[in-house]
Amino acid sequence: MAAKYVILPCNGLDKEAGCLARELALKMAAAMDGEIICPVLYQTAPSRYASLLQEGNLIVIDGCATRCASRIAANNNLKISRKITMAEEAKKRDYNPGPDWRLGAGAAAFVEDVWRSWQPVFMEQGAGRASEENTGLFAGPVEYAIHRHDKFIFRVPLEGFYFNENDCWVQVEGNRGRVGISDYLQQNLSDITFVTPPDPGTEVEQFGEMGTIESAKAVYELVSPVTGRVVAINEAVLEAPELINENPYEKGWIAELELTNFEADREFLLDGRRYLEVLKEKVADFNAGK
Amino acid sequence: MSEEGRLSVGLISCSGEACPGGTISRLATQKVLRSIRPGYNFVTICLPLFMAGGEEERNFARDYPTITIDGCEKCCALKATEALSGPVSGKVVVTDLIAKEDIGEGTLSIRELTGEQKAMVDHVAAAILEQVTKIKQEG
Repeated sequence: MAAKYVILPCNGLDKEAGCLARELALKMAAAMDGEIICPVLYQTAPSRYASLLQEGNLIVIDGCATRCASRIAANNNLKISRKITMAEEAKKRDYNPGPDWRLGAGAAAFVEDVWRSWQPVFMEQGAGRASEENTGLFAGPVEYAIHRHDKFIFRVPLEGFYFNENDCWVQVEGNRGRVGISDYLQQNLSDITFVTPPDPGTEVEQFGEMGTIESAKAVYELVSPVTGRVVAINEAVLEAPELINENPYEKGWIAELELTNFEADREFLLDGRRYLEVLKEKVADFNAGK
Repeated sequence: MSEEGRLSVGLISCSGEACPGGTISRLATQKVLRSIRPGYNFVTICLPLFMAGGEEERNFARDYPTITIDGCEKCCALKATEALSGPVSGKVVVTDLIAKEDIGEGTLSIRELTGEQKAMVDHVAAAILEQVTKIKQEG
């Protein structure tokens, strides 16, 4: 087992999605020897779970978009390791949670499928966490260009990085690419509070979704600059999302991909110098209130 | 107090992640919610949302008769409702109705209920409906 997990599911009495969240929590707890936090008891007697929360990685499972479990975690300043939202999982699978809370065979199969898809993320085997060995493959930028505007300073690496106009970058080494967000975007988002990277093994298309970043201001959907298969995610930013604010081009990388079409993808990307020009325009437009 | 001539009653169940009685309370609440009972409009209130700051939920429990359904003697639902919205109109505690040792231990999946546990759900649902009747009689 990679780590001890504690699971905070939503109560889910009102909607089937919530009942599914609870069923997934039970399945995960049994499979990973994890502990479930009762969202209600936690709020009436938080000390009961204090040591568990200190020792374990917290997984939050929400049923619907109201995200009660996430709200409870946020209200109590709990550090979330992973979030799962059953309504989103259902959407991905074209599964329509119905009004029947008794959870028939279809619901059971759905929960099983959701667990199967998340299992590699939580279990040691195939977890796809970045290892010490592969972190050496990507050297940090040698040289940064700087663009100053009022009190703001924006950095852009000039060599080895390619950007899309959505302010996401890829650093390429051989057939591997490490992806993240630009200094400009992290400053726009302000304090980053949570990162949901793509799952290891996910096939990502150029300009397809590559996870989300949540900040105090917004939830931002990452747009992949390249096509490929996710082979690792940056465990460090899951633990400390602020690394993206502090060091977006090195410690704040988000995922590593095995590139499958980079020569073609590059046609639609900007190198550091060209991105710097785009950045200047964005800053000017922002300043002009466009 | 009524919607289209029907009496609205709020049902707040415990979450059931910490005790098997919670699963019974959840299912009994759902059973009442889905039951057809002319003259009544049952509304469930999601307890974590209620506690996390759901104003609509809190106002509902303040303005309409509300019954809490707890799985065990910790009475999380009752305590939270009283703290956030005021006195409740009725309360049901599963362990007051069924001996703890009969319910079993650990958390329960909805799909793994035994025949005996299903009968417990019916028993608790009936107790909730008794509270509903009492509320109606008391006006």
